[in-house]
Amino acid sequence: MDLNSLVFGIISACSLAIFFYIGRFKASRSQLDREDRIDWSTRKFSVWKIFLYSVGGVSALILLTYFL
Amino acid sequence: MSNHNALQTFGRSGNPALSDATFSDEAKNFRPHVKDLGVMTLEGTVNKTGVLLFLVVLSASYTWNLFFRSGDASSVMPLMMIGGIGGFIMALVTVFKKHWSGTTAPIYALLEGLLLGGISAIYEAQFQGIVIQAIGLTLGTLASLLFLYKTGIVKPTENFRLMIVSATMGIGVLYFVSMVMSIFGAGIGFIHSNGIFGIGFSLFVVAIAALNLVLDFDFIEMGAEQGAPKYMEWFGAFSLMVTLIWLYLEMLRLLAKLRSR
Repeated sequence: MDLNSLVFGIISACSLAIFFYIGRFKASRSQLDREDRIDWSTRKFSVWKIFLYSVGGVSALILLTYFL
Repeated sequence: MSNHNALQTFGRSGNPALSDATFSDEAKNFRPHVKDLGVMTLEGTVNKTGVLLFLVVLSASYTWNLFFRSGDASSVMPLMMIGGIGGFIMALVTVFKKHWSGTTAPIYALLEGLLLGGISAIYEAQFQGIVIQAIGLTLGTLASLLFLYKTGIVKPTENFRLMIVSATMGIGVLYFVSMVMSIFGAGIGFIHSNGIFGIGFSLFVVAIAALNLVLDFDFIEMGAEQGAPKYMEWFGAFSLMVTLIWLYLEMLRLLAKLRSR
């Protein structure tokens, strides 16, 4: 086993262990007791607004790369 | 709170395979007489994510070995096609029929594994050691963001959600336009280039894919908090898998661009 596999293998194993351990616990109170949490039952922004934002971003990106 | 009400209180994750339009539909279609064995928990979702990860690795190892035994990409192409198209169909079925998630999510994982195994093997043949790097970075990102989310350092808000969903949709539009243009022999060059723009673009996509994980965590946390139906554990695990697979593929692309310079 080379050093690359060893280092990234250890990172992978540790990350999985962290995920399976921390994932079982509830998030901290500062995360859960907030006024500005996402309300997953409603859509605050319309799909059109999201679509316009994304198309605007893509157009800007293409124009930027075209002129630079 | 009843399961029905719980389901109405939250919708979806922000990951690229899912659509906002499914929120209300799912609540509408939810039938209380469907046999629900308990409510959604964090532990159940984490366990089911483990099952899906195992299934992805299982089927990926098949196409991976097939490629390295034959040494020819054409030997895995049919399986990769089946995995890609089948996985896409299964993802759509899971999104529109969330209460089927217990069946469709594992099938999705197996099919995606066929695709990932083939793609990973092709990259590995070209750049030795790239796959373990991409796996390490993907899982490292998962663990880091989970820690940042759980401790409250990263706090997703409605504006955060708007930004991430818009950027995700923008990337989807860009990939779609690029795919259509490539049919006519053209293309958006910087997406695939290994120049500054190409690498910058890949970094941006990796960042957006990673931030989608935060939305998934919040979605799962909310589901467990509100006592959503048990099958939503599978759906939460599925959402996480979709984002993880996307993140892994973008990591592979980014690393390949960096190593081909």
